[in-house]
Amino acid sequence: MTDLFYAYHNVIDLCLLNSMLAFGCFILLGVNLFSLATGGLMAIGAYLSIWLTMQQGWSFAPALTAALVAASLAAFGLGSLVLRLRGDYFTMATLAFTEVVRIIALNWDSVTGGALGVFGIPQLTETWQLAGLLALVIYLIWAVRHSAVGERMRAIAADELAVSTAGHDVARFKLALFTASGAIAGLGGGLAAHLNMFIAPGDFGFLRSVDTVIAPVLGGVWNLAGPVIGASVLVVLPEALRFSAQMREILIGVTMLAVVLFLPAGLVGLPKLSRRRAAS
Amino acid sequence: MLVQQLVNGVSLGAIYAVFAIGFTLVFGVMNVLNLSQGAVFMWGAYVGLEVVRTLALPLPLAILAAATAAGLLGVLSEVLVFRPLQRRGAHRWMGMVGGLALARILIGLAQEIFGTQVVRYPDNALAGAALELLGARLQLLQIVAIGAALLMVIALAALLRYTNVGRAIRTVAFSENVARLVGVPVDRIRLMTFFVSGALAGGAGVLWSLLFQSVSPFMGDGILLKGLTVLILGGLGNIVGALVGGVLLGLVEVASVVVVGSGYRDAVGFGIVLLILLTRPTGLFATRETTRA
Repeated sequence: MTDLFYAYHNVIDLCLLNSMLAFGCFILLGVNLFSLATGGLMAIGAYLSIWLTMQQGWSFAPALTAALVAASLAAFGLGSLVLRLRGDYFTMATLAFTEVVRIIALNWDSVTGGALGVFGIPQLTETWQLAGLLALVIYLIWAVRHSAVGERMRAIAADELAVSTAGHDVARFKLALFTASGAIAGLGGGLAAHLNMFIAPGDFGFLRSVDTVIAPVLGGVWNLAGPVIGASVLVVLPEALRFSAQMREILIGVTMLAVVLFLPAGLVGLPKLSRRRAAS
Repeated sequence: MLVQQLVNGVSLGAIYAVFAIGFTLVFGVMNVLNLSQGAVFMWGAYVGLEVVRTLALPLPLAILAAATAAGLLGVLSEVLVFRPLQRRGAHRWMGMVGGLALARILIGLAQEIFGTQVVRYPDNALAGAALELLGARLQLLQIVAIGAALLMVIALAALLRYTNVGRAIRTVAFSENVARLVGVPVDRIRLMTFFVSGALAGGAGVLWSLLFQSVSPFMGDGILLKGLTVLILGGLGNIVGALVGGVLLGLVEVASVVVVGSGYRDAVGFGIVLLILLTRPTGLFATRETTRA
């Protein structure tokens, strides 16, 4: 019974954490930025926060705050350099960033434990903290979307050139969003590190970045429920398919492909679609 | 010693180049990044392995079979993912996610069929053979890899330059609308392009697994990242750029093992990517036409 509870517990924690991380990509997808920087920014937050709690004796909250600030600063720096690149070039630059950070983590043995990773991280992350912080992130994004800023976000998504012609500074706006997404990634990194008790550089590479950005696409890019649904599906589906690692990969791939092909609005578009079917 | 390192670098780079040329060809013609290319590469390696091991056919035939099978997978990615998305006018990143989804399916299938353990090509005359050149011991395999890569590049160049299909491919690359106006069967040409691109990936897969003596379902992720690196080095859609960029990356990696140690080898490649994107986003060999970034 307790085993069952713990298994269940982990799944919920992971759903909450990955949903929060997915929102970091969600706000960028909202202005047509496909970023793979999540892994690198998370790594910065994760390694800084465990260094602070384990080596410097900081308590959890200030360490998390430091992780958030550091990753925001990194995102600000990276963003001011790479945001002027368009489309695939931007994606590639963010990927290069993630990989460089991962490789540095792999080699900086004294801080990161190298390829073996860091063991025995105090498990400070609690489910209620994850839930609370996720709620806070959702509230903030909701509030922004319902303000003049949100209006501009949608305008940029629709026609960037028109918005900049109208005299708005699109570049600065995107930089602000990228910095915010860095804050989410840094916070998520700190939380993730203190959730698993173990981290290794491999946790923050290409695959992590891809999984994070896929979650909102899967759930729905235009709906606040999208990232939560997408991230939860990506956590729960593998758990449900524990019996076969191969079938797991195949079924996740098929689900992703089906959504991309048939549900442009993501899984949140599913009920609407079936209602329309039923009506016609 | 220097000659040996040089050959190490060039043989590695030649494989990068073959893979990246397939990658960049699809980008140049269709303006999409096919992120399933790494999985296609892996499938090529397995098909080649099965042909050598089960059917006991000679290596050139294995490469041919692998290239054909991988080419068909390339066609599959167009039919299954990229064509429907293009028809719908979907976002660019939908194509990327679709490619990643297809890659996941292909990797899962490979695990199901071939198992997850690392396997290798059976020993053959090539594996142990070495020759002396200017005081360096060179593996015959490396020379074969360079030769095969060169052959594939020349075949592609000839195809693009002298055949009708090649001319049509270049027309579609220039502009799909123009191609339609002059009567090029655009859909079929796109399929051909995906076939050629997949075939190059498959061929590269066999060469890679011969050279490094390992085949596994997860071998595609690494090469995908290398391919993206070469793509940026040479400029997206630039075939000559991919060729030079591939060899350059191979040489840089071999040199960086000597200079900064093997741990940072991959970081050097990505560091260069960041640097190039910030200073010359259209690649090292940009022509005046490639001003997409």
